[in-house]
Amino acid sequence: MSRIGLRIAGLSVASALACGVATSANAQLLTHKDLSLAMATTIARATIDACKAQGYNVSVHVLGREGQVLLAVRNENAGLATFENSMKKAYTARTFSRSSGEFAAGVKGNPNAGALFLTNITPAQGALPIKIGNETIGAVGVSGAPGGEKDEACAKAGIDKVSADLK
Amino acid sequence: MSKTALRVAGLSFAASFACGIAGSADAQLVARKDISSAMALTMAETAIATCKTNGYNVSANVVGRNGEVIVAMRGDNTGPHTLENSMKKAYTARAQRRSSGDFGDAIKDNFTAGALHLTNIVTARGALPIKVGEDTIGAIGVSGAPGGEKDEACAKAGIDKVADELK
Repeated sequence: MSRIGLRIAGLSVASALACGVATSANAQLLTHKDLSLAMATTIARATIDACKAQGYNVSVHVLGREGQVLLAVRNENAGLATFENSMKKAYTARTFSRSSGEFAAGVKGNPNAGALFLTNITPAQGALPIKIGNETIGAVGVSGAPGGEKDEACAKAGIDKVSADLK
Repeated sequence: MSKTALRVAGLSFAASFACGIAGSADAQLVARKDISSAMALTMAETAIATCKTNGYNVSANVVGRNGEVIVAMRGDNTGPHTLENSMKKAYTARAQRRSSGDFGDAIKDNFTAGALHLTNIVTARGALPIKVGEDTIGAIGVSGAPGGEKDEACAKAGIDKVADELK
């Protein structure tokens, strides 16, 4: 290779390196893990079964990272509103990265809380965020048991079923 | 029992018989069979698994007698429209009591067909009615495969899985 050739090659390497650095700082793609349908199905089934074992018929929603519905199950023996309510509880838990019950406690006594005016936000216990460490990747919402804390216990049973895989 | 008492008893019997007939003609409850959430889950899972085996990622919806969503499943790596589309196909198959594709074919050249102006009616193939004999009790819709006939094949696999119980 000629001297000029070597210099050009060196310049290329230097500029490629510079661009590489710029790319990683500004425009690298995000990498994250998301729930699979199989995992969502396992969560929903375990949730329904846990409530069923206690004598409660519940509807369940499992939502993904963007609040999108991954899985919805209407329980034929639960009240008509439970299908919608389980979705809204789950959306609330996903949005605030905490249980919908904790959100409810947080806005209690504050009917003007801004979050209460958002679509699909509900101050009702019965949904838990699904997390990998501190990162919320979805939520499971439950409705139909006589009391939000009972709904939430079933949601927990659902998440516990897959907890070993949430990493 | 005295003669009078016997007559009264006879009268009561006759009256209740007459009322029974009147009841069956005018006010008897409608006896129906409906899809359980357990059965709907099995159908949706089977449909999605079948398409997966065929190399396609799809979403699926199972709707009940009144077009209500019983189970909605968003398949892994599917387009964002597939959950909605599978619901609309299913709703169409339920409403029309035939495959959504057959409905689409039937109104192919009739842009002013009344049914096209109803909410949730689509002309795409990929959904089949779920029947007990001649009674349509719901439908299953699939979306995501490259071609409605491929979606429909997976919907059929879902129904076939529970065919023995559709009676």
